[in-house]
Amino acid sequence: MSTVTADPAPSSTRPGRSARPPRLRRSWDKHWYAWAMVLPVVIVLAVLIFYPLFRGIWLSFTNLTEANQVAEICTRSITGGEVCADNPNKWEFIGLDNYVRVLTGQVGEFWQWTGVTLIWTFVCVACHFGLGLGLASMLNRPMRARGLYRVLLVLPWAVPAFVSAFAWKFIFNERFGLANALLTAVGIDPVSWFADRWTALFTAIVTNVWLGVPFMMVALLGGMQTIPSELYEAAEIDGASAWQRFRNITLPGLRPVSMTVVLLGTIWTFNMFPIIFLVTEGQPAGQSEILVTGAYRAAFEGIRNYSLASTYGVLILSILLVFSLFYRRVLRKQGEVW
Amino acid sequence: MSRSTATPPTADAVAGPALADSRRVTRAGRSRRSPAMSVLLHGTLILASLIAIGPIAWVLLSSLKPGYAIQSSELTLFRDTTLSNYSYVLTETNFPRWFLNSVIVAAFTMAIGIFLSATTGYAVSRFNFPGRRPLMMVFLVTQMFPVAILIVPIYTILARLGLINTMPALIIAYLTIAVPFCAWMLKGYFDSIPTSLDEAAALDGCGPFATFWRVVLPLARPAVAVTAFYTFLTAWGEVAYASAFIQTDNKFTLAYGLQQFVPQFNPQWEYLTAAAVLVTIPAGLVFFFAQKHLVSGLTAGGTKG
Amino acid sequence: MRRTARGIAVLASAALALSVAACGGEDKAPEGQPAVDPASLTAELTWWDTSDPQNEGPAFKELIAKFNQTYPNVKINYQSVPFGEAQNKFKTAAQAKTGAPDILRAEVAWVPEFASLGYLYALDGSELLADAADFLETPLASNTYDGKTYGVPQVTDSLALMYNKELLSKAGIGEAPKTWAELKTAAQTVKEKTDAEGVYLNPAGYFLLPFMYGEGGDLVDTGSQKIVVNSEQNAAGLKIAKDLIDSGAAAKPSANDSYGTMMTLFKEQKVAMIINGPWEVNNVSSAPDFGGLENLGIAPVPAGSARAGGPVGGHNYVIWSGMPQEKVDAAVAFVKFMSSAESQAFLSDKLGLLPTRTSAYQVDSVKNNAVVAAFQAVNEAAVGRPWIPEAGQFFGPLDQMATEVMVQNRDPKASLDAVAKKYKAEVVPGYGL
Repeated sequence: MSTVTADPAPSSTRPGRSARPPRLRRSWDKHWYAWAMVLPVVIVLAVLIFYPLFRGIWLSFTNLTEANQVAEICTRSITGGEVCADNPNKWEFIGLDNYVRVLTGQVGEFWQWTGVTLIWTFVCVACHFGLGLGLASMLNRPMRARGLYRVLLVLPWAVPAFVSAFAWKFIFNERFGLANALLTAVGIDPVSWFADRWTALFTAIVTNVWLGVPFMMVALLGGMQTIPSELYEAAEIDGASAWQRFRNITLPGLRPVSMTVVLLGTIWTFNMFPIIFLVTEGQPAGQSEILVTGAYRAAFEGIRNYSLASTYGVLILSILLVFSLFYRRVLRKQGEVW
Repeated sequence: MSRSTATPPTADAVAGPALADSRRVTRAGRSRRSPAMSVLLHGTLILASLIAIGPIAWVLLSSLKPGYAIQSSELTLFRDTTLSNYSYVLTETNFPRWFLNSVIVAAFTMAIGIFLSATTGYAVSRFNFPGRRPLMMVFLVTQMFPVAILIVPIYTILARLGLINTMPALIIAYLTIAVPFCAWMLKGYFDSIPTSLDEAAALDGCGPFATFWRVVLPLARPAVAVTAFYTFLTAWGEVAYASAFIQTDNKFTLAYGLQQFVPQFNPQWEYLTAAAVLVTIPAGLVFFFAQKHLVSGLTAGGTKG
Repeated sequence: MRRTARGIAVLASAALALSVAACGGEDKAPEGQPAVDPASLTAELTWWDTSDPQNEGPAFKELIAKFNQTYPNVKINYQSVPFGEAQNKFKTAAQAKTGAPDILRAEVAWVPEFASLGYLYALDGSELLADAADFLETPLASNTYDGKTYGVPQVTDSLALMYNKELLSKAGIGEAPKTWAELKTAAQTVKEKTDAEGVYLNPAGYFLLPFMYGEGGDLVDTGSQKIVVNSEQNAAGLKIAKDLIDSGAAAKPSANDSYGTMMTLFKEQKVAMIINGPWEVNNVSSAPDFGGLENLGIAPVPAGSARAGGPVGGHNYVIWSGMPQEKVDAAVAFVKFMSSAESQAFLSDKLGLLPTRTSAYQVDSVKNNAVVAAFQAVNEAAVGRPWIPEAGQFFGPLDQMATEVMVQNRDPKASLDAVAKKYKAEVVPGYGL
């Protein structure tokens, strides 16, 4: 996993100077600028993400919480003086207990949350990509008012996400919301959106799709610019239909970009905290909770349970890692490598 | 220079004569669209635009109402229309200051983020150096651990660095979100830029840095525009890190400042919506200017270079 | 290295404590006079206020200005922090020993939690508790943990029955219902005789406590360390609440944004009765369609078969243990000023907040305040909550139960059993079932 740190060239050339240095030196000479280009990013990520991440993995094997994390609890008195007492139940290594407790359902609703998360992720990403691709290919054509359409369609991205979440929550309000007003206007009974898990999840998905399509659209629009127009020209001369051109030129040309946005989109959506947290609040009765929001409520309400939170974090990480490796394999079979 | 194997076939096809006049082709495309197709195209886009601006219209209309009229059993477009919410937000709160802070944070995040991810993306796209593939995987992994769990340890680290309640704390935190994605994105675009251009530049005596800076980066304008907009908005709208790392009113960013209007009890929807409108306008303007660069793609850049 | 540093600190503080003990008592300043010249106190203190920045914030800022008339050299950095995020924000900062405020307005349930984590100064022996007997017993109790006191009460509150006088009299109801049975009849009458609905119940754990308390139930018994949330009493209380909805006396609640829905309906006179606390009085009386304070009736929550009572809420002033010792005098002076009877009377006058000092209720402006008077009866009936560090975690499972019973029609007892199981597994594993 280490990248730049794996480059031992400058320091280790000195002591040996036997058979190996020339190769290392050559490697250094050849690659130093590549390493130099990635170094700043790697340092920032190592400090801010990887240190907490590895610490999190370690914590998931302990029972550390906010209350037992220090060896002794000190009470300062306002009149001066500090009394320190040994923490009677200091944290300890507990092996796989956290995982057992989470996976067997003793704590939280891991399997239910995972199920909801998978549905949520799949539907959201599919809609993001489908709608984003459709809109991008329309907006990629020259036409009147193209700039205006582009700006209007991208606006949902420009509003701070939590404000949009409130807006959608208002729209789906069971008594005062626009959604039920429209349904009533066309003669359908109003829906108690948040009384049922599927309708509740539906409101969150609508919100998230609305929020996420502009990003997808812009990314794909950017990707379409790298497809040379000569290809389309040649295809038209050959008499290819619009669909054939889309299928055989646009889609393959978008592959590097769409591969990236689908992969990262999946990861982000899987961990998309604010929408569920704000729009459905997990209602009804926690049934529309996804893994991150469920883990947050389980571990961070009241005394914060860092080891439990880390356990969920590691489980989420594992699921996504498996997904990414699988995704890479599928792509590799089709000739893409990263 | 070893070339990335990830380059898609289409890019090979253009590798040679990338300088054709694209305008002729596109204009031809437009003239050939039948009226029915035009109606369908514009109809779809108008519908999509309406859906896109619907909730924003609600925000806009709400911002013109007094607080009691926003959530009401009667749905109205306008009621007791007033601009007082805007004057309150602009004069009675620290909004102008938050705005300035957000601009600073977003601008720095954007500039540093683009620079770091472009160099990284380029290195990964062009050079087959040891650690190249693990690096891309590592970038992915950084996005997999939930932010909610990272906040407390990151706070501790930033506290040790003495960065709590400062803007660099936010910029650094936002870079960890933005750079991995942007590096991936830019790598994808760089892959589709023919390496023959790099080689030509090398023959002209450009070093790898100069090739990157003077030849490849200008060609990747649409990609840079996309990632710039992404980094800008990441910093512009983020709340979770801001609410943890920023503590005094004069350091708030806009999105976090806005959250002050909606406490658990007695939320001030009228001020939230007014402020949200004021926040959205500059973001829309940034996109309006960025989107021009979305059209001038590989070929146009190639013509210029 | 940290250990030796701590050792020295402990030694030093022990010496300090000794010297205090040696000359304690005699050299105390005479009543009402600060021991030192107020102007000689110089410090800069940060205060995180979690009150409503719109309605309440300005009054607190006014108080700070008054404080500075006496203490010109103590600068108070007032920072409003949204109530919903203050708890985690404070803990994150206190844990990192950087960035926490010197003084915090903490919700009653937070104090034992923060205290158990060592984040607060124990206030015993300071001027702040010199007249502890003056504080109302129940609010003060929320500040104690493990025999020490970690805060002073700022404001107290409890849930009450709030009703629309006009709607009730239109329906021919002379006075506020006193029992849940009377409430049901009243609500049905209102529904028949007016356009409004009878009552709106917020399906959230906290707001259902009056039903459980009414039958004599509670969440846990801290004395015998038992989880009693799934008692027959609680089930009976929830059945009463559920029956209100099933019979149509209460409006069908939404699972989401029910609090906002409740308030909007009440303010627009679309529902005659709600159960809520004093923090909404301003909001309701200033709503243009409500008819002002004159139209707002406030009564204790109706009684069940055992008693009538709502949960005690409120806020306390606490001092962060990471604040340097040299700022202690200034912090004590500030908290003392803010929690004094005069300040409480001022806040009561301005905002209708309920004082936590007996002496404050003797001040004329408080005595003549109709809202305070109405809530005084409410508060006398209020039931203390279990003041243990884990108390904050009780409401997650309880809220879930509330939705299940009130919206999804689940059997109260089954749902309460699930809550008890969760308490045992996740909140208080040491307690018996």
